Amino acid sequence: MHEDLYPLLNAYLDGELHGTRLREMELHLSSCEICQGELNELRRISIFLQAAPAPQFTPAERFVSNLTLSLPRRLQQAQPLKPASLWLVPAGSLGLWFFLRTVFELSNLIYMANESGVLGHAFPWFSNGSQETIWFALTTNLLGAHLTGNEHLALSLLNGINIFGSDLLWGLLWQAALIMFCLGWLAIWWMRRNPQFMKIENTH
Amino acid sequence: MIVNQTAEAELNLIQQAQNGDSSAFQELVRRYYASVVNVVYRMCGDAALAEDMAQETFLRAWLNLNSFHPKAPMRNWLYRIAIHAALDVLRRRTEETVEDETIQRVTDQTPGPEAILIEKEGAANIQRLLKSLPEAAHSVLVLREYGNLSYQEIAAALDIPLGTVMSRLNYARIQLRKLLKEQTHAEAEYA
Repeated sequence: MHEDLYPLLNAYLDGELHGTRLREMELHLSSCEICQGELNELRRISIFLQAAPAPQFTPAERFVSNLTLSLPRRLQQAQPLKPASLWLVPAGSLGLWFFLRTVFELSNLIYMANESGVLGHAFPWFSNGSQETIWFALTTNLLGAHLTGNEHLALSLLNGINIFGSDLLWGLLWQAALIMFCLGWLAIWWMRRNPQFMKIENTH
Repeated sequence: MIVNQTAEAELNLIQQAQNGDSSAFQELVRRYYASVVNVVYRMCGDAALAEDMAQETFLRAWLNLNSFHPKAPMRNWLYRIAIHAALDVLRRRTEETVEDETIQRVTDQTPGPEAILIEKEGAANIQRLLKSLPEAAHSVLVLREYGNLSYQEIAAALDIPLGTVMSRLNYARIQLRKLLKEQTHAEAEYA
């Protein structure tokens, strides 16, 4: 007997061999009487097991009736979230985030344009007067008297860009956190849809 | 087409049962009772105990129904619960002889008393041989021979790798073959 082939003979008997392995096994069996004999032995064991009669169990209808009497009222477990609800959380968060960022960035742009005089200070109420970087405050205090109108305009523009840039950096960090949250959420959603990848020991 | 309709009907039943509809669950029990009780019977070799185990299986299934995902076949999920329930009970039970009870409950369609006796003895003998196998190999063999599960399904049901399924099945059949040979020799010597 080819001992190493025994597990494969089992697999062949159970219809678990496919493709090349199946063809190889069939080819081998056609020329190996020992393995043919082993296969027949395995078949006999299987037939022997199948031949064992099962006792007459309680009829299904009566079993169901008995079972129903002992069925406890199932605790209302948390209903599995529907796919729509699962998508709603990350999608809603993203939507809210984009709305807020758009409002903030637009405000910054208008403020910057307003401060630098591009809009001709059309929105005086838009200025809070405190949006100055340190270098801008120092420069204007030290050299304010010597600066021409264009130079002041250029400095204001640079000041605005600086403020805008730092806001943007914070924005990007928040976005990264939001993306992590959404990916985490999607991973949980995927795990719930594919429970075979989770260790579900729910029989106890 | 018919298969799809059946699968869809079952899916509806599962969803209704998951929503707490006990009549839908009862219908599912009707569908799977015979397979489940047969598998647990092959594990324990005792009809009354098998029915208790089947009841335990369906109770556990009812209580954990919300954790079942209908993408996987329900039969496999029930087998998984049934095997665990059977192993729990068998581990708790002390060694005791159950063959007599088994013989009493085995029935046969043929009326001849000799045929009944031979069949009963054969059934008890097979159960005795199965029970002599180690627990791990026994479960795999039962799921394959009586549950008709594929290797992949057995691996999923018992939470073991595919290679382990193959080696345990291989071991179980080799052991069974040895036991049968020993028995045949003993009978020949006795005769």
